[in-house]
Amino acid sequence: MSRTTTTPGLPGMEERTQRGPVLRKGIGPTPTGWFDPRGRALGTWAFSVNRITGLGLVFYLYLHLAVLSLLLAGESSWNDFLELATTWVFLALDVLLLFGILFHGLNGVRVALVGTGIVPGRQQALFWAFTVIGTLTLAYGAIHILGSA
Amino acid sequence: MATGAAAHVLIIGGGGTGGALAHDLTLRGIKVTLVERGEITSGTTGRHHGLLHSGARYAVGDQESAIECIEENTILRRICPGSFEENDGLFVALTDEDMDYMELLLKGCAECGIPTQQLTPDEALRLEPLLNPEVKAAVRIPDGTMDAMRMPLRFFATAKHNGAQIHPYMEVKDLIVHDRVVSGAVVHDHVTGKEGEIHADIVVNATGPWSEKVAAMAGVDVPIRPSPGVLLALRGRLCNMVINRCHKSGDGDIVVPQRGLSVVGTSSWTVDDPDDLGLPEDHVQRMYEEGAKLIPAVKQAEFRAAWSAARPLIGSKEQADTGRELSRTFKTYDHKETDDLEGFVTITGGKGTTLRGMAELCANVICAKLDVQVECATRETVLLPHTAYYAA
Amino acid sequence: MQTMEETATGTEAETRRFRVFRFKRGDRTPHFDTFDVPIEPRTTVLDAMKWIQLHRDPSLSLRHSCYHASCGTCGVRVNGREVLMCVTAVHDLGREITVEPLANIPVLTDLVVDMEEFYERFPDEHPYVRRSEFNPEAAVPDGIATYVRYEDCIECGLCVSACPIVGTTDAYVGPAALAAAQRMLEEPRGADPARLIDWADDPDGAWRCHAAFECTEACPSNVNPAARIMELRGVLVGGRLAFPGRREEEAR
Repeated sequence: MSRTTTTPGLPGMEERTQRGPVLRKGIGPTPTGWFDPRGRALGTWAFSVNRITGLGLVFYLYLHLAVLSLLLAGESSWNDFLELATTWVFLALDVLLLFGILFHGLNGVRVALVGTGIVPGRQQALFWAFTVIGTLTLAYGAIHILGSA
Repeated sequence: MATGAAAHVLIIGGGGTGGALAHDLTLRGIKVTLVERGEITSGTTGRHHGLLHSGARYAVGDQESAIECIEENTILRRICPGSFEENDGLFVALTDEDMDYMELLLKGCAECGIPTQQLTPDEALRLEPLLNPEVKAAVRIPDGTMDAMRMPLRFFATAKHNGAQIHPYMEVKDLIVHDRVVSGAVVHDHVTGKEGEIHADIVVNATGPWSEKVAAMAGVDVPIRPSPGVLLALRGRLCNMVINRCHKSGDGDIVVPQRGLSVVGTSSWTVDDPDDLGLPEDHVQRMYEEGAKLIPAVKQAEFRAAWSAARPLIGSKEQADTGRELSRTFKTYDHKETDDLEGFVTITGGKGTTLRGMAELCANVICAKLDVQVECATRETVLLPHTAYYAA
Repeated sequence: MQTMEETATGTEAETRRFRVFRFKRGDRTPHFDTFDVPIEPRTTVLDAMKWIQLHRDPSLSLRHSCYHASCGTCGVRVNGREVLMCVTAVHDLGREITVEPLANIPVLTDLVVDMEEFYERFPDEHPYVRRSEFNPEAAVPDGIATYVRYEDCIECGLCVSACPIVGTTDAYVGPAALAAAQRMLEEPRGADPARLIDWADDPDGAWRCHAAFECTEACPSNVNPAARIMELRGVLVGGRLAFPGRREEEAR
């Protein structure tokens, strides 16, 4: 458009044809880009939480490996760990981990079904269906995990 | 004033007329700069209901316009392939008065060279199941739907690729006039906030309903009356063909389908300021009522938008009250002849469908003034797609 | 509903406060200007912007043309959400309304974006007239093969502005372009399906989408770009799965 026609002699033609600033999404003076789910719809919330849980699960994986390596240090250090692992705080974090696994897993199935064109138009319906399944499973799991304390 | 290959023409106004003129002059080898204060087609051109006129609406009362329309209708289909919903249209009679008018319509169309086909109510309802079931008869005519912005944009795209300088967001603040000669314009660039001058051998006023305002900058008068009408867009494509009421021009007597929408129009009144048209609520309601007479489903259809657009009608201020009586044909004013002012031409009036024809006449006048002896090539030149306007 | 006459005879006109993004070339940074605009039940954001242009600041630049969501030029962000100004009623919005240009497309001036980069993303040609699926039981007039209509996509760019992936990279072709390619696979109209599939089968093509579905949320015209991208990926995946089968057949 403006970048390719210039009338010589008119002031400002050079400026007119330069590439202008590109705004990115995000509410507030500093745009926060892709990550900011505020003001967006359901699909982006799922997208953002999928990434957060993904990062969380990776972090958990390394934590888990570190914990398992305690076995190498002998029975007493493992028993110390088991004492910590049966406290309320730890069990609550276990429930949080379960949420992360369920959300990331079920949402992942949803993205796979929609994203390979198997069920392309039903992403919202799938989200709510999996929310129901996930919530029931989480409730069941939470009762058992916390009940074992 | 430079003539021939060295000449430079400045066109004020980025509507269909300006674009078609830029295209025509560029094909004839003339250097063209076009300035528009807003987005291309943001004046009247982009706002109309998108009817590709067969001319049938004017075949009874304004045969000059009707003949212009059917000629340009045929040419546009040839030079803008893939730009129209080519489904034809119907004139639908609902009352005995409508049936009387139908006789006049058929006669008028024959006189103007507009092909018609008479249909029984059953045939009409088979073509358009949502038509008013009380339809008495229908006439098929070669109406169509145009995209009111994208079709003119093809003219701009082609002109641009042939070397025309197209500058939207550049507003003319004043014309440069010395010793009864217009030699350019003072422009304000809304992109940079800077002001500058563009010099030209001929300045063309192609600003539609703003023609009077721009002409006043040169100290001359043109008899243009901005005549707005209300349009109503509804969600849902209630008809595939254009549906017209078979009676003398009146409010709400056309339903134009457009992608997944139906546009009902229009009404008519006159205003002084083309920037302040208003949107009379009673006119919007009238669109619903009259539109529903043609297609009853109009009443239940979901509202999409209601807006006003101003026709540039030629005629003196004293002549008309509603604007319907003014001629819808177009005119080129060479102000050397009308006002002894050299270097200034106004092209105005007309309809969306006749943009190319208007430009041809105006370009002929301009070429005569500039001593350019190249024939018009726009009847046969197929235009670039509208997306080319945005390509580097 | 209020009529023009009622307003003129002195009924209290409501006003709303608009914060409008302003930027002219040569400005170091953009800023927001605040305007109080009188509104009526039918006033749209476009009407409000035009009122500002006419009565307060003629240098305010905006894109608009058709006034009825058909040309796609008046796309902006109102309170952070992508909308077309001409069909967004002010009445339903809050007391203070922020209007900014679309994201992810370079700003030309004020609320105007330069659509050159938007169109660059599209496959070479994308016809915009298709078969009309409305009133399928209707007969067609003699001499006309089938009723046709314009595509729903009005090239407004709201989807590109809303897409979080386009927000991170200018290389991604984006939802509008991919949806256009899928529509051509649905109804070729002279396009070459193999070439389109090849064009889409690219890391910055159909595979870059991460299923946020913002494009479908933002689309004012029923295009549903997200579903179309997924359909397109179905075609691409299907093509890959079919290939090993074909190889076995050829071996036999």
